[in-house]
Amino acid sequence: MKLTEIAPVPGMPSHVAGLSALRSRVLTIIDIAALIHGHATPTDQRRLAIIANISGHSYGLMVDGVSDINAVDGGPQPLRGQIAPEWRPYARGLVDGDAGACLLVTLSSFVEAGVWPQAA
Amino acid sequence: MDELLQEFISETQETLEALAGEVVAWEADPADRDRLDAIFRFFHTVKGSCGFLNLPRFERLSHAAEDVLSEIRAGTRGADPATVSAVLAVMDRIGELTEAVATGTALPNENDDFLIGQLAERQAEAAHPEAEQAPLAQPQPGAPRSAPRTIRLPLSLIDQLMNGVSDMVLARNELSRKLRERSADPELDAAFERLSSCVADMRDAISKTRMQRVDRLFAAIPRMVRDLCRDLGKRVDLTLEGGDVEMDREMVEMVVDPLTHIVRNSIDHGIETPERRRARSKPEVGQLKLAARQSGNQIVIEIADDGAGIDTRRLVDKAIGDGRLTPEAAGRMSEAEKLELIFHAGLSTAEKITAVSGRGVGMDVVRANIERIGGNIALDNHPGKGLTIILRVPLTLTIIPGLIVRAGGQHFAIPRSAVVEILHDNNEMLSVDSVGGARVATIRGVRHSMIDLEDVLGLPVLNQPGPRAIMVVRSSAGTPYALGVSAVDNHEELVIRPASPLVMATGVYAGMTLPDNGRPMLLLDAGGLAQAMDLPTIVDDRAVRDKAERANGDACEETVAALRFEEISGERRLLQLSMIERVEDIDRSQFGRSGGRAFVRLDGRLVPVVNGQHRFDTPLVTALRLRDGVSEACYPVAAVLDIVDMPVTPDMVAMHGMVSGVALIEGEHLEVVNPFALFASLPTDPISDCAVGRCILADADDGWTREILAPLLRQAGHKVAMGLPMGEQPDSGDIILCASADAGAAAELTGRPVVRLRTSPRPVGPGDASIYRYDFDGLMAAIAAAGGRRNGL
Repeated sequence: MKLTEIAPVPGMPSHVAGLSALRSRVLTIIDIAALIHGHATPTDQRRLAIIANISGHSYGLMVDGVSDINAVDGGPQPLRGQIAPEWRPYARGLVDGDAGACLLVTLSSFVEAGVWPQAA
Repeated sequence: MDELLQEFISETQETLEALAGEVVAWEADPADRDRLDAIFRFFHTVKGSCGFLNLPRFERLSHAAEDVLSEIRAGTRGADPATVSAVLAVMDRIGELTEAVATGTALPNENDDFLIGQLAERQAEAAHPEAEQAPLAQPQPGAPRSAPRTIRLPLSLIDQLMNGVSDMVLARNELSRKLRERSADPELDAAFERLSSCVADMRDAISKTRMQRVDRLFAAIPRMVRDLCRDLGKRVDLTLEGGDVEMDREMVEMVVDPLTHIVRNSIDHGIETPERRRARSKPEVGQLKLAARQSGNQIVIEIADDGAGIDTRRLVDKAIGDGRLTPEAAGRMSEAEKLELIFHAGLSTAEKITAVSGRGVGMDVVRANIERIGGNIALDNHPGKGLTIILRVPLTLTIIPGLIVRAGGQHFAIPRSAVVEILHDNNEMLSVDSVGGARVATIRGVRHSMIDLEDVLGLPVLNQPGPRAIMVVRSSAGTPYALGVSAVDNHEELVIRPASPLVMATGVYAGMTLPDNGRPMLLLDAGGLAQAMDLPTIVDDRAVRDKAERANGDACEETVAALRFEEISGERRLLQLSMIERVEDIDRSQFGRSGGRAFVRLDGRLVPVVNGQHRFDTPLVTALRLRDGVSEACYPVAAVLDIVDMPVTPDMVAMHGMVSGVALIEGEHLEVVNPFALFASLPTDPISDCAVGRCILADADDGWTREILAPLLRQAGHKVAMGLPMGEQPDSGDIILCASADAGAAAELTGRPVVRLRTSPRPVGPGDASIYRYDFDGLMAAIAAAGGRRNGL
């Protein structure tokens, strides 16, 4: 989805960009860049979001771009090498893409990552 | 086959639910053929269907029950309590079996023969009619009703429909905006209007699919009451009213548990045993009445019993015993506040823990559950005569009337039910005061904690031309508070959806809504806001609760006479009258300041001025002369207003400097001056006359002396004269300050104490008694010392 207007939610950690409406669904927009790098994406650079339904709620996960949708042959490979600590909570494995190895992440981990620090 | 089975299951479950009440009613009135027939029909249907579906256990059970019932129909057997119990037990078992079939688990392997045996075991029971009669349930007239034609639909389909309609409404709104941008076309407008009204009708109709009769809520009650009465040996006459009121399906589910709990409590703790009731000259049979009615967009459910009511004294004792209340605080509590204690966690009046209630899950949970769905709970207690509990819940969970408020440039919604009133901050009935860092809004004499929404949410407070709006908000767990927002924009029916857990985790939002403009909006949680700001709530903060008690206890509180006066800075304050010796008008020239302390010359003595005032615009200064028995002090004020009665303990304690708290007098709240702090702040040593004399600056022509030293001395309360007086002897109180050696030599000749100043930080030699001119403390000390020498001290 192309992101349009995002209504900010005050009092939230920086990675929660706000709420956005997709027809009659309200999405909670998660700024993945903020989650990984710690600083929020400027408003004018917000472009695309992946819409996901995670445990009954709709989320939009902000990404820089979507390259392709692929069926991955051979399933995920175990992680190799030293994954940077900021990616570690989200990484699940490696997959072979057309352009080489890609990190496999699960969308729900981004959402949960936001919930637990709050709960603690 | 599966479909048939599914249908059988849901039909059976539904009938079971509806029948539970009927059986109890039938027991009360065995002659009621209609009810008997209805029950008989149920077993008959079950028997028929399960033969077909190959469910032998169902068949056996229902067959046995049917036999017994047909005997009763034929009149060869009476409907005694034992029989009814047995029939109910069979119904329960059928319910369990149905549940098991529905979930696909193994059928509970219990002995059905035992139940069937119980059915047959009538002679023995009939010979010993039980002393305790079963309760009577009297559903509203018209009980045997014919069900309207219905079909079954999965919930997901209805939710889908609901979403579809919401989308439609949004599309319509967008279309409407687009149409407005174009030139008016009456034909198009008319067509659009028609579309609009269709959409609106549809929305209403879909909303209705969510509604359910309160009957469903009441369905399980008669059975529960009956069983409880048998267990506890009590007799209760149950009345149900208003079963045809409709409320949201989800809401029904949310209310079932609290309602069940309240009914249990009522029977267990409220209604007494027949013996005790007799002793209290009440009818042996207790009355329990459940009534539902719609009131605006709320459903009101009243649970009234004529039992013992709540013994507030015992509640208070218990609370004191638990250490959650001090006896003093308890003494100040009003009856209503004591009653509130029942909502405290872990507090129960049950003397002993029974199987039914009193296990620590109490009214606090009930209240929490009711409030979670936006409802509230009220008690009407008549000790010894009964208790009425009034539940108010919104009609539906999903559509609530809400106010749209604006804060920090954003819009938020807040449930209408949470808002008590809205004022503009320029309203005369409202005053906002700042006390000890906290803000307090007083509205018609009632004080509320005051917070700004922007502060809670960390938004900037924007400047705006008009007045801000102040809402009095009722938070679920605590006292009402005032919430400041930029403006209250609108009142709308809002479709509320749950927000994602991420958003809910902040605790200040209750959900979100998508208004017609398509921009998502957050619904504020009034209780959460108060918690986020750590506002005093009754449940959490006992210290503040005590404070609130005091505030509420005003009327009966001991008072002392206090003087109401206006400070020179304009505030109005109170001071205990007994502290004031007299009020006097003093010439302003008598006031002065020395070494940072203000004083006044009275009757040849120097008296400290406690509030530090020493410069006045008027020639005569009104001053309070205070005395604590030993020391005295003077308190200049702008005006003395009147003498009022002030509560001994201020309504709000805020030990903050000179102010001990705030008292509410005639709708105005006034800071109370703390006499203790006043006298404690006095200098321990008596003020000497030292600074009254002039400081003569010998080097009148020196720029530094003129521009820097002179103002400094004046500021410190000294009188300053420029230049050595020529030809006249200086006054005995004068001190001479000189910066140059020439002036110093001339000064020595006057015979007055001289303070020499030097420009270098270090003394020139060991004999140099001069003071570095920027050493303020040294300078002041030297002047004081010189003054002391002058007075021979």
